[in-house]
Amino acid sequence: MLKIKDLQAQIEDNQILKGINLEINAGEVHAIMGPNGSGKSTLSSVVAGRDEYEVIGGTIDFEGEDLLDLAPEERAHKGIFLSFQYPVEIPGVTVSNFIKTAINESRKGRGEEPMEAREMLAKMREKSALLEMDKSYLSRSLNEGFSGGEKKRNEIFQMAMLEPKLAILDETDSGLDIDALRIVANGVNKLRSKDNAVVVITHYQRLLDYIKPDYVHVLYKGRIVKSGGPELALELEERGYDWIKAENA
Amino acid sequence: MSDEILDEITASDYKYGFTTDIESDTVPPGLNEEVIRMISAKKNEPEWMLEWRLDAFRIWSEMVEPEWPNVTYQKPDFQAISYYSAPKQKKELGSLDEVDPELLKTFERLGISLDEQKRLSGVAMDVVVDSISVATTFKKTLGEKGIIFCSMSDAIQEHPELVRKHLGTIVPKRDNFYAALNSAVFTDGSFCYIPKGVRCPMELSTYFRINEAGTGQFERTLVVADEGSFVSYLEGCTAPSRDENQLHAAVVELIALDDAEIKYSTVQNWYPGDANGLGGVYNFVTKRGLCERNAKISWTQVETGSAVTWKYPSCILKGDHSVGEFYSVAVTNKYQQADTGTKMIHLGKNTKSTIISKGISAGKSHNSYRGLVRVGARAENARNFSQCDSLLMGDQCGAHTFPYIEAQNPTAQIEHEATTSKIGEDQLFYCNQRGIGTEEAIALIVNGYCKEVLNQLPMEFAVEAQKLLEVSLEGSVG
Amino acid sequence: MTDLAQDLLSSFLVAESELNGSKNLGVVTLRKQAMDRFEKSGFPTTKDEEWKYTNLKPVLKQEYRILLKGDDAVSFADIKQYLLSDLDTYKLVFINGKYSSWLSETSHREFDVCTFAAALNKYPDTIAEYLGKAAPEGATFVDLNTAFADDGAFVRVKRNQTVDKPIEVLYLTTDENGAAFSQNRNLIVVEENAEVQIVERHQNIGTQPSFTNFVSEVFAAADSRVSYYKVQNDALHASLVDNTHIKQERQSNVHVGTYSFGGKLVRNNLHFYANGEHSESHMDGVTIISDGQTVDHHTLVDHAEPNCYSRELYKGIYLGNSHGIFNGKVMVRQKAQKTNAFQQNDNILLSDKAKVDTKPQLEIFADDVKCSHGCTIGQLDQNALFYLRSRGIPKKEAEGLMTYAFASDALEYVKIPQLEKRLNKVIANKLGINLEFAL
Repeated sequence: MLKIKDLQAQIEDNQILKGINLEINAGEVHAIMGPNGSGKSTLSSVVAGRDEYEVIGGTIDFEGEDLLDLAPEERAHKGIFLSFQYPVEIPGVTVSNFIKTAINESRKGRGEEPMEAREMLAKMREKSALLEMDKSYLSRSLNEGFSGGEKKRNEIFQMAMLEPKLAILDETDSGLDIDALRIVANGVNKLRSKDNAVVVITHYQRLLDYIKPDYVHVLYKGRIVKSGGPELALELEERGYDWIKAENA
Repeated sequence: MSDEILDEITASDYKYGFTTDIESDTVPPGLNEEVIRMISAKKNEPEWMLEWRLDAFRIWSEMVEPEWPNVTYQKPDFQAISYYSAPKQKKELGSLDEVDPELLKTFERLGISLDEQKRLSGVAMDVVVDSISVATTFKKTLGEKGIIFCSMSDAIQEHPELVRKHLGTIVPKRDNFYAALNSAVFTDGSFCYIPKGVRCPMELSTYFRINEAGTGQFERTLVVADEGSFVSYLEGCTAPSRDENQLHAAVVELIALDDAEIKYSTVQNWYPGDANGLGGVYNFVTKRGLCERNAKISWTQVETGSAVTWKYPSCILKGDHSVGEFYSVAVTNKYQQADTGTKMIHLGKNTKSTIISKGISAGKSHNSYRGLVRVGARAENARNFSQCDSLLMGDQCGAHTFPYIEAQNPTAQIEHEATTSKIGEDQLFYCNQRGIGTEEAIALIVNGYCKEVLNQLPMEFAVEAQKLLEVSLEGSVG
Repeated sequence: MTDLAQDLLSSFLVAESELNGSKNLGVVTLRKQAMDRFEKSGFPTTKDEEWKYTNLKPVLKQEYRILLKGDDAVSFADIKQYLLSDLDTYKLVFINGKYSSWLSETSHREFDVCTFAAALNKYPDTIAEYLGKAAPEGATFVDLNTAFADDGAFVRVKRNQTVDKPIEVLYLTTDENGAAFSQNRNLIVVEENAEVQIVERHQNIGTQPSFTNFVSEVFAAADSRVSYYKVQNDALHASLVDNTHIKQERQSNVHVGTYSFGGKLVRNNLHFYANGEHSESHMDGVTIISDGQTVDHHTLVDHAEPNCYSRELYKGIYLGNSHGIFNGKVMVRQKAQKTNAFQQNDNILLSDKAKVDTKPQLEIFADDVKCSHGCTIGQLDQNALFYLRSRGIPKKEAEGLMTYAFASDALEYVKIPQLEKRLNKVIANKLGINLEFAL
């Protein structure tokens, strides 16, 4: 589904990604771990299309199409979803209005008819129940006054509503206590199918107890320096990142 | 936002930037008693009207132009402005077919269609172009209910008792510098009278246009709603692009007698000055309403543009149980400056006022809200709720709120809330990632933000207002 | 200098060498310096800005025993009601300042739940790294506690560990031989990505007055999560000065809930130091007090780093001639851009003689921040009250219903259901309402 070849990207003359190679197929869950500053968030921003980052080499193909040609909203229409590490607030726009606009713009982008109001409402109720969110969230301004945990839950709620093909979760676990973590992980797991894929970016093993990865990659200094199965994450948990740093000094 | 998009937007022509080639009848620039006599004579005004103007002129001559700490502008030269300009008319207008076709074309370009479609939707129009009313539709239909809706010039001729009784009672000549100026040289405007117990069946509307270079626009409007009546009045303005600043000093007086209600809505789209801040419109307006017992006045406005705006629609809640409301969206972009707000003066008992002000600043603009809520010593049980929100688009604009609360009665309940929020690259990218393009995102954000105010506008205006907001904020972030 | 201060000085000279940690030079020096500072400053008076509304004199003029002895006679049955008996928890119980092993239940697996005394004597590295690093020097009560504190709770949670059960910390006073002045200290270290829940309580189960000077230092490392609940429902002859200082690293999330119902004079000094980006600080509380009681909440959130979030909600209901004080300070340093700080203090006065002094303070030195503070003091909405009564609900029950809803609002973030239930019961009791009757 997603083919990243030798991806290099920089921000303000500072090269962060130095040649990323990654292949993700439908139905798979990949975890990307790494110490702070290794380029994890940069990778997700570049795939989502943030223009602050300049791609200076390599390619990203999504379902056979060159992603780098497309604007961020076009990538979203193709089915790419990024759960932000630090979701921003948008005052005056309610959660329900925002998600309604997002869904219908995506449909428009794919040449489909907008979703009927009744169907939309039913879906919102279903997904907010899935994430154990009080209905009152739907009429609050997007992320305004939300605690960190509430913001992360809201991100996964949006993911549940948009049903993307490729979901990238950027440090979704940070700030969540054990109960909230379970709810969010449950939400993500319920959405998994053989037709979609999930990339979980995290610093800690904790989330991977609940969202079990098929592959684990370690990102260090802008490159994937190690790949393996779920046991790799457990090893990192025990030994920390120092041995990775030493191996790749 | 990339530079190319920014260039494209600022270079695109102001939508209504064109001029009409109509023979104009202009008085040479300058302001003195002679000019005033000339204006009065041209309009065939009765003696009492001339005297009223001269009195105002004398008062104005002794006044000093006010200074506003939060707004900077180049002071207009009052002697360099021409105070009268009217497109020449061939004869008295009986019906629309007799209107100068050039003029009609102008109206069409402005998006004002005087055709059957408008007629069916029931909007009576009084179009003011360069100081003379050209067409007054529906005069007959309204006349059947006893409703008077005509130009001020006509009202002075045909309903002198009404005009004389109410003119200047809410905004006296002495009230402020620009009101005095207006009282001396106003050339036209609208007059509206709703008789006792009558509910005006349609929305009354007026459009403005400033055409001639160097012409100030001095409109005078008077709306009187007699006991138990109701009227909804719409006012909308557009202006062409010019290099010199153009002066607009209007006065609007609203009188709501016992149990009456006046809804006054304005959608204003002034030329904002070009990308370097040159050539916009100076907008100094005094708008005030008086409520008698149980009466209600609502001011709703959506304002964009204008190089310098100074405007304080206010309500005097004189009668017991009267209600004053103010809903406003003020958008500033590029180099615009706005100093706006409202005054609610509570005098009677059990009066209530609501203020919802939404300011949106973009580019390098500055938006100030200045609100006064005054509760008089005998105003028992006064209630006020004010919500003043500012939305900043990008990093270089500013918003300031100055609420003044003067309560001299201990039973007053006054609530004030103010919030400031910011829209930047981060918010737009967030929307992009969710499949919402940048233009749609700005529209979504701005409309969500202004919802409360836009809901107050008559539907027709609301749609135009929404579009106006979107257009005026294009390229505002980045 | 007050008599109590004199007594303390002389007691220190006597006891200094016997205190836990007296073999650790670092600790000894720390104690000595703290005592020197206390000697110079003495106890604060109402002339000090921070104590303007809170008069310590009545509490200070009492004669206290300073060096206390433990009490073996206390059994589990005696203290059951002060614990969450329907929940399996770790327990650290102290009587008259001394650890009671037979009443406690500790752990030394992936996390240490044991005593401050043990830490002082056996973990010099930990002590060197953390002791005194959260609570600032120069605060009188903190200095006094630093000089004297001999025991208390020590909790250390290693990185990535989640403590599987809540930890209950109970400080009891039983001394029948005169009024007691006790000083205990908590040291709580939560390492990276670790999680812990603590429920703490001070209880005087004797008949003599008591005065407790308590310090709790909490260190929350990056990505850690701490829930800290203080239940203050002590006897009416017990007074407390609680100094809790929380140092937060990046992306940590700490919630302190303070529920004040008992005691004669309770002063809570709660300070959060947001030392890392994207951290979250939550502090909330409910105060319901009556005749002769004074509760003073002095809070501080110090935003030193950008992108942090702090939320404060304190609700108070004052009956009889009680006295409530709230002073909430939010400091946003110049570096702390994009700070989001919310503070709300709502109070209801149910009697003409009750008094509330509230002062929010915002000191903001950064320009891209979102800070709000709100405060209300009022009586119950007469219209709503009348509405309930017109539907047949008697005045007292109606008042109870409205105040109950008002107070339990602040329990929203309590994560332990048994604790929340308990607190709701106490609130209902205090407001004289029948819980089945309420929603």
